Amino acid sequence: MTGNDHVTGESSRDGREPNDAAFEELLSRALKIDVPAARAARTVTRRPAPWRWAAVAAGVLLTVGVSVRLLQDYGYLPTGSLAGDVVAHIHHEPGAVRIPVVSKGDAVAAAEVSAIVLAGGARIEHMQPMVRYAKLCPFRGEQVAHLVVQGEAGPVTVLLLPHEEVDGPVAVDEDGFVGTIVPLDIGGSIAVVGQTGEPLGEIQSEVAAAVRWRL
Amino acid sequence: MTGKISHLERRRRFDALVRELRPELYRYAFWLSRSRSVADDVVQEALLRAWKAFGDLRETGSTKQWLVTIVRREHARLYERKRFDTVDITDYEEEIAATSDDDPDLGKMRQAIFRLDDAYREPLALQVLLGHTTREIAELTDLNEATVLTRLHRARHRLKLEMGIEPEDGPGDGS
Repeated sequence: MTGNDHVTGESSRDGREPNDAAFEELLSRALKIDVPAARAARTVTRRPAPWRWAAVAAGVLLTVGVSVRLLQDYGYLPTGSLAGDVVAHIHHEPGAVRIPVVSKGDAVAAAEVSAIVLAGGARIEHMQPMVRYAKLCPFRGEQVAHLVVQGEAGPVTVLLLPHEEVDGPVAVDEDGFVGTIVPLDIGGSIAVVGQTGEPLGEIQSEVAAAVRWRL
Repeated sequence: MTGKISHLERRRRFDALVRELRPELYRYAFWLSRSRSVADDVVQEALLRAWKAFGDLRETGSTKQWLVTIVRREHARLYERKRFDTVDITDYEEEIAATSDDDPDLGKMRQAIFRLDDAYREPLALQVLLGHTTREIAELTDLNEATVLTRLHRARHRLKLEMGIEPEDGPGDGS
């Protein structure tokens, strides 16, 4: 780029050149990357039979159902079950728990973990388990820190949930994932979830002691 | 009762809108970020914000541009300022290659677009993918129309060079 950011040569009014139909067609196709199948499936249009009131009513109900499901699937509406949303979120990012054991060299750098946790409205210090995955994720309408730490048998998912209040420990037990959503004295909660058989008590205690919400 | 109907109607309209526009928004977010996972997150967050503000939207004709603006803002907010995810060109080239069909030119073009500077790639996506006019792109990106036109022109020029097509009008970037 030069300081002068304006075209001085000939060109059409929209940047396209004449006689470039093949190039434009290829460019258009190239930009249209495939949208993941799960999302494409949600774009299917319902086809109600307008002459039947029952069908119209069913169509409306279907639309409402799809809307709610869509909003829930993408993290901007809770399903009503915090535990269910935690497991759904783990399913949503299967790559995070794909590798059963990692070496120290594969751990996420502490600075990166801190940055993500901070952006998720928290601070965390001196946590012992190796963090093998860290990402800021939309969850029930908030951006939260999603960590995966090394457990004894495999990956353990930790979600830091400053906006989620629970009255007491909430058990998670769905689809082979077990764990607990634990309320913290400072408010909010943490979800610690592993696969069946994983001892989670120690990780849960360490995270609960190490986490602080950002003011 | 009226309130419930109104809420359901709003939800129905929003759902229809999302079903229609989500693929385009996802593609736009992908070309902004060059990452499928980032695109997914950006669109999710953008739709959340859109849903919250949907009741206040009066002009349905401008809905698409409104959503594009939200996606752009969310991308900037979440992934430009904070820069949590670094762009690994090798990963994304693999990602693009995996989505290309058997047409070698298509894969080559996608990689060429991928390598474009952000300043060139975004207006191109807005124009070709979303059908924005030069003026609309200028308004969205806070540039003047002449600059947008220049960037569109140079983007195509660079793509042609990468594709082995001889541009008709010289070097294209003043060099």
